[in-house]
Amino acid sequence: MKRKKINENVVLPLISILGFLLVWQLICWTGIIPSNKLPAPITVFEAFIFKLTNTAPDGATLIQHILSSLKITVSGLLLGIAVGTPLGLLMGWYKPIDNFVKPLFELIRPIPPIGWIPLTIVWIGVGNEAKIAIITLASFIPCVLNSYAGIRGTSQVLINVAKTFGATNFYTFRKIGIPSSLPMVFAGMRIAMGNSWGTLVAAELLAANMGLGYMITMGRQFGRVDIIVLGMVVIGALGYLFTFIFGKIEQAVVRGQEHVK
Amino acid sequence: MLNKKEKSFNFIKIIPYLSILTLIIVWTIVSSVGNSAIFPSPISVLERMGRLFTEPIQGKNIFGHIWASLQRVLIAMFFATLIGVTLGVMIGWSKRLRLTVGTIFEIIRPIPPIAWLPLVIMWFGIGEFPKVLMVFIGALMPIVVNTYTGIKMVDQKLLDMGKVFNATNKQLLMEIAIPSAVPVILAGVKNGLGVGWMVVLAAEMIGATAGVGFLINRGVEFFDVSLILSGMVSIGVVGALLSVGVDQLEKVVCPWNLKKSD
Repeated sequence: MKRKKINENVVLPLISILGFLLVWQLICWTGIIPSNKLPAPITVFEAFIFKLTNTAPDGATLIQHILSSLKITVSGLLLGIAVGTPLGLLMGWYKPIDNFVKPLFELIRPIPPIGWIPLTIVWIGVGNEAKIAIITLASFIPCVLNSYAGIRGTSQVLINVAKTFGATNFYTFRKIGIPSSLPMVFAGMRIAMGNSWGTLVAAELLAANMGLGYMITMGRQFGRVDIIVLGMVVIGALGYLFTFIFGKIEQAVVRGQEHVK
Repeated sequence: MLNKKEKSFNFIKIIPYLSILTLIIVWTIVSSVGNSAIFPSPISVLERMGRLFTEPIQGKNIFGHIWASLQRVLIAMFFATLIGVTLGVMIGWSKRLRLTVGTIFEIIRPIPPIAWLPLVIMWFGIGEFPKVLMVFIGALMPIVVNTYTGIKMVDQKLLDMGKVFNATNKQLLMEIAIPSAVPVILAGVKNGLGVGWMVVLAAEMIGATAGVGFLINRGVEFFDVSLILSGMVSIGVVGALLSVGVDQLEKVVCPWNLKKSD
């Protein structure tokens, strides 16, 4: 009985993935959807092999595109986290800072990062700096929101204990506020990661000369639908990979939370 | 003593106004010192918005363009909520469906909505339908994920109690699981609306003849930074209003969740 259950958990997803690919392949073979609208999975795989070493039709190999996108995302993400997390923590702990920054933050927050792209192009141009600025903004916002909420949720009992033992406000902030906000801070970073990856694609769709978003834009202009789908698959796979790796890091760093609960 | 406390309290209360005032002053100074074509002052942005009423672009003033974008989002949201909730309930309730349909959904989900844009344009061009479809794709994901999570998080005790009272599977789902998942589902709708509002901009920036994204794009083409900023301000205001709107909806639909949301 138990064995059968385990089998079902593995077999059903496998069957559905294979079935999905098979149906997709069949649709393309039979020509229900013409091949210039939807490439067969095998064609996408061939395009993958081809793009590993070839620069046609967009002037860079797949690896170069990936590295270019990664470079921008990581720079922007790190900047966003480096600015956003401390700001959120300070806002959550110190009322005057909160009162000063919150109104400005609330003005910026509802504007999606994509909305900033044209302004950034006018101000900074279409270089990597502009894209990094947009990614920074995209990752900055969830970092502030989550670290703010996280440190606001610090148990008042713990704060009172620290006060009773004569800790200064800053010491309490450092030793109690920050550690207890970590799970939320990390959740914010995870959201930031997803946001920045999605925003980067948009930034590259609008202005770029390398990167995965650029690759799929070029795929559209050259009518190479296999390149478009390949780009989507690679973007999706990398996004999934980041989330996975980050989940592992998160588990390792905020392990203490389980004991607190 | 009391008086002093009151005074410092007042000062903290004033700070938010001070910060907005500082922003406006700094913005005005920068635009008057620097190049006002690249960095227009707040007043010239307001003027530019007003001028859209006297000389509309593509026959629409600022509200016309906001409505064009909003219409796309609302149509897409209707279908995304309908299909997303159904799909989420299905994969949350039935293990078989979770292992099959859920797997395929999990494979597609990591692709950011904007990455669909070139493919959707290639399939359907740059008319009205592809834009609605893009918003639909973007909004669908968070709605499905939240509905699924909401259904999975249903208190097992409630379900057990239902079973004790001889509830059928359908009753367990319709009368216990779905109602208790409503707050989480609404949070998903709110997320989806946010994503949709972002995606519609991207879709409009690629090619459109109406909408806020189109206005911003026009601003870039004509190097009219005031117009870009007008567009951004309207995006922010509408985005904030949409978010408040869903919060209000939540208060009506599930008042028991009030404490949590505030």
